[in-house]
Amino acid sequence: MLLAIIFIPILGAFALPILGRFSLRLRNWLALILILAPFVLSLLLASAILSGKTINITQLIPLGFNLSFSADILALFMALVSSLISAVIILYSFGYISHYSNQNEYYCLVVLFLGSMMGIIFSQNLILLYIFWEMTAIVSWRLIGFFRGKQDILRADKAFLITACGALLMLIGFISIYQLTGSFDIPVIKESLKSNPLPNFIVALILVGILSKSATLPLHTWLPDAGVAPSPVTALLHAAVLVKIGVYVFARLFVASFGIAEIWHTIVPVIAAFSTIIAAGAALIETDFKRIVAYSTISQIGFIFFALATNNIIGIAGGLLFILMHGLAKAGLFLCAGIVEQNTSTKDITQLGGLIKTMPFTAVAFLFCAFSVMGIPPFGGFFSKYLVFAGSVENKQFFISLVFLAGAVMTMLYLFRLFNMVFLGEVKISGKEGSRTMIIAVMILAILSLAGGILINYPLGFAEKAAQQMLGG
Amino acid sequence: MEQHLLLLILLPLAGAVLILSAPQRMRFFKAAPALVITLVNMAIAIIVFKKNIIVNFPWAGFGIDLSFRLDHFSAFIIAAVACFSFLVTLYSSVFMRLKPGLKQFYAYLLINLSFTNGALLADNLIILLFFWEGLLLGLFGMIALGNKNSWQTAIKAFIIVGIADLCMLLGIAITGHLSGTLAISKINLPLASPLAIFAFIMLMIGAISKAGSMPFHTWIPDAAVDAPLPFMAFLPASLEKLLGIYFLGRISLSMFQLKAESGLSIALMVIGVTTIICAVMMALIQKNYKKLLAYHAVSQVGYMILGIGTCLPVGIVGGLFHMLNNAMYKSCLFFTGGAVEKEAGTANLEELGGLSSKMPITFFCFVIAALSISGVPPFNGFFSKELIYDAALERGAIFYFLAVLGSFFTAASFLKLGHAAYLGKLNPVHQRVKEAPLAMLIPMITIALACVLFGLFNSWPLDNLIQPVLGQRLEGISFSGFPANTKLIVITIVVLIFALLNHIFGSKIYGSGLKAADYIHYAPGLVNIYAWAEKGYFDPYRVGMKFIVVVAKVIFLFDRGIDWLSSSLFVNLSYGLTGQIRKVHTGNYAHYLSWSLLGMFLIAMFLLYKH
Repeated sequence: MLLAIIFIPILGAFALPILGRFSLRLRNWLALILILAPFVLSLLLASAILSGKTINITQLIPLGFNLSFSADILALFMALVSSLISAVIILYSFGYISHYSNQNEYYCLVVLFLGSMMGIIFSQNLILLYIFWEMTAIVSWRLIGFFRGKQDILRADKAFLITACGALLMLIGFISIYQLTGSFDIPVIKESLKSNPLPNFIVALILVGILSKSATLPLHTWLPDAGVAPSPVTALLHAAVLVKIGVYVFARLFVASFGIAEIWHTIVPVIAAFSTIIAAGAALIETDFKRIVAYSTISQIGFIFFALATNNIIGIAGGLLFILMHGLAKAGLFLCAGIVEQNTSTKDITQLGGLIKTMPFTAVAFLFCAFSVMGIPPFGGFFSKYLVFAGSVENKQFFISLVFLAGAVMTMLYLFRLFNMVFLGEVKISGKEGSRTMIIAVMILAILSLAGGILINYPLGFAEKAAQQMLGG
Repeated sequence: MEQHLLLLILLPLAGAVLILSAPQRMRFFKAAPALVITLVNMAIAIIVFKKNIIVNFPWAGFGIDLSFRLDHFSAFIIAAVACFSFLVTLYSSVFMRLKPGLKQFYAYLLINLSFTNGALLADNLIILLFFWEGLLLGLFGMIALGNKNSWQTAIKAFIIVGIADLCMLLGIAITGHLSGTLAISKINLPLASPLAIFAFIMLMIGAISKAGSMPFHTWIPDAAVDAPLPFMAFLPASLEKLLGIYFLGRISLSMFQLKAESGLSIALMVIGVTTIICAVMMALIQKNYKKLLAYHAVSQVGYMILGIGTCLPVGIVGGLFHMLNNAMYKSCLFFTGGAVEKEAGTANLEELGGLSSKMPITFFCFVIAALSISGVPPFNGFFSKELIYDAALERGAIFYFLAVLGSFFTAASFLKLGHAAYLGKLNPVHQRVKEAPLAMLIPMITIALACVLFGLFNSWPLDNLIQPVLGQRLEGISFSGFPANTKLIVITIVVLIFALLNHIFGSKIYGSGLKAADYIHYAPGLVNIYAWAEKGYFDPYRVGMKFIVVVAKVIFLFDRGIDWLSSSLFVNLSYGLTGQIRKVHTGNYAHYLSWSLLGMFLIAMFLLYKH
């Protein structure tokens, strides 16, 4: 089952271009099915895993390069979140990408991307994790440069170089762990480390990799630049999946598996705080729709790191919930940006205005998602934001909490600035409403953000169990 | 009984969904369901009054329990909220009839009602915050329905109140951490540690900003102009005041042990008097009916905060009574403003005048409400203000003096308003103005009547509504009946007479009621301050926005610096480095050979050294 979750999308991805030669419609639906498959399969696993079991698959290979996969609550949570959001994004792509060439490549890469994401989530071996990690890097490099302009390719190269550079440092960290313990298998390493914390230089190396992937200061500038990609791709990379990889690996390695020295519980929040404030400030000045939303992502990722670094159950559950709520809402914002961009052919918000009249659905969906990112009840973002603060208070990090409070205030400011400039005021460029599938996709995300708040007991219960398992096991 | 509590929250919410989903053409289907639901809500509120109900079931973990509690304090405010909601809906059914966005208006109104009930009933801080902060949506939506500037005002309101709510979120997190529970009824923290004081301040910011106190008030005068009028009577004048002061009461009476000796008490009183004076001074110079009222809506909060801040039973009773009285006369005043605007087509005082002959009932209601707000005996405002004066004098003469000074200006500005709008010469354009329709008059008359009754028979509201909230703290004393301190009453009456003389004097010099306060407006020194205030130099929102943009620009430059590092510096460095290495590859055989020999030599040296 676990292998199916990973390899159905990875292998299926290559069938898409072939199918695309015969029927476009069939290809599109197959792509959706390939993305939904991991979601459905993960759901099937849910009852067993939530009761506390973990599912392990191991194929022994000498020298510690074991092919081992494992599913626990944390992994399942991430798998469900990322495949759900990806499915909505694929649905949106039906409308969006139909205007451009190279669609076969597009669908193939997106599905492949999700497959490698699943690989990262379920890997129980550091080398395996690294391989999937680099797979996502290559795929995202191709997707960012999808439109093949000179600028696009430069930006794609930048994203690839920064993340790959981080990944190589992380690999050195992994190899150092191997030298220390003689294995790449996470459980084996855990066993041999006992309760000793990882040496600081290894933590630092791995952290560079994580921060580069999750676009955190000072390795973040590739993310706004990557806004040249097609909007569903930016939604996929920036909001839902790619940037969450770093966060996930942080949770997997430093929270759930290995101990790290106490000092990191201060260093990581401080980095996150800087990242949050600086990205929020940049979002207040930028004039490009997608760059603003991208900076907003960087800013919100800071909250997640902050939450996960608290190392107490409230904070970790809050961080996981934040991953879900932020993913839903931010994907919605990017997809709205895509609709606006496609129908007005500009991303410059100084040239936009008054679109609420011609694009009422997009405007409302945008507002819903923005409310969720701001953390306004009854949207889901409210609970995740509260838990992040509650977790930090529990750790007595009052000063940093105040910095994050300022970050939350700035979130409100830049999102309203964006809404104001794009949807209110005088109409400068009139654009028509997006196509039906695109509207449906953004509406799904907006409504899921709302439902996530009203029915908070389900996702929060899930996150709480995951956090319990991470701290206890 | 439990289901009644849930009904209070769910019924208006269901009504909102119903109204929103009804087809556009069914015009009848907008006001009618809202009226029915607010009426039912009122009935439920009366049924559950004087009962103690607790509903509790675990919900989402981490202490986020879905728990509701009805005690005396919340029950009486819920009843008040229910009455105001019904009257506002009745009023709007005529006032809003031909306005666009009718469907949304009623839906937001019901959502606000539902969330207010939820916040009042919540016995868990997170659930409270959920409803409390959720009110932002209704606020935002209702303001945005107004004229074409209203979106900006809605955003302003949202951001100001939103920031305060975020402070409250942190305050709740700390309170939960300190007390180990989120259940409001179980929290009773001493204000001993700096952390507890910080938590109290954070919660207090949430409470006073909801009530509309300074410095969180600047959206209210803007909304008075831009938002639909019933909104003003509904949220800033009644619901939000009730809610904000309710929570301030909760935190200072039960959740924290606020003592009269503490600095926090003085801080609250200072906030109170500052709000009274600054807002009333602004109200004095307004030339717009609704905006003038809006500044008073701010100013009156000051009395409530002052009363509660004194930490004396008499002050707290006065503050809570004033909260109730203010909600009554202030919504009545807004109703009269709406009636004038609807019939005469403008709220600009320069174009109004002499309407008393055309709209006698409206004028009558206005007079009663204006007398109440000015604190003239025997109307309700008089009694609550006297209690607050009593407490303020005990805590410090300066607080008393400023509070009375506020009353002087309040009376002066209402004399000006009444004179300008209802007396004097009738504007010829308004020859055909009629009295407002019945559905708008009923709420006005009801409230005006209540203002008189709550004044004449103040022992009923005080004994049945207000004083049970304090319970043991009162030590058996009752503050109902005519105030005991005759000295204070004499001073109040003298001050009111002065206000009247001042008005006669002012209107004599300038020859019109509207300009009666101009000599204060253009007094040397004050004129500059007023000019700055009108330009928004004292508006924390505008100043803050300018400040944040500057900060953001600096941050942005920093960010660009990092970007330059990664996309220029490193790229150029590596180009430079590889350029140097490239030069080594000359293609010359002799060079390559010498490099190889050098390398072999080094390896040999290394191996030799190792052995």
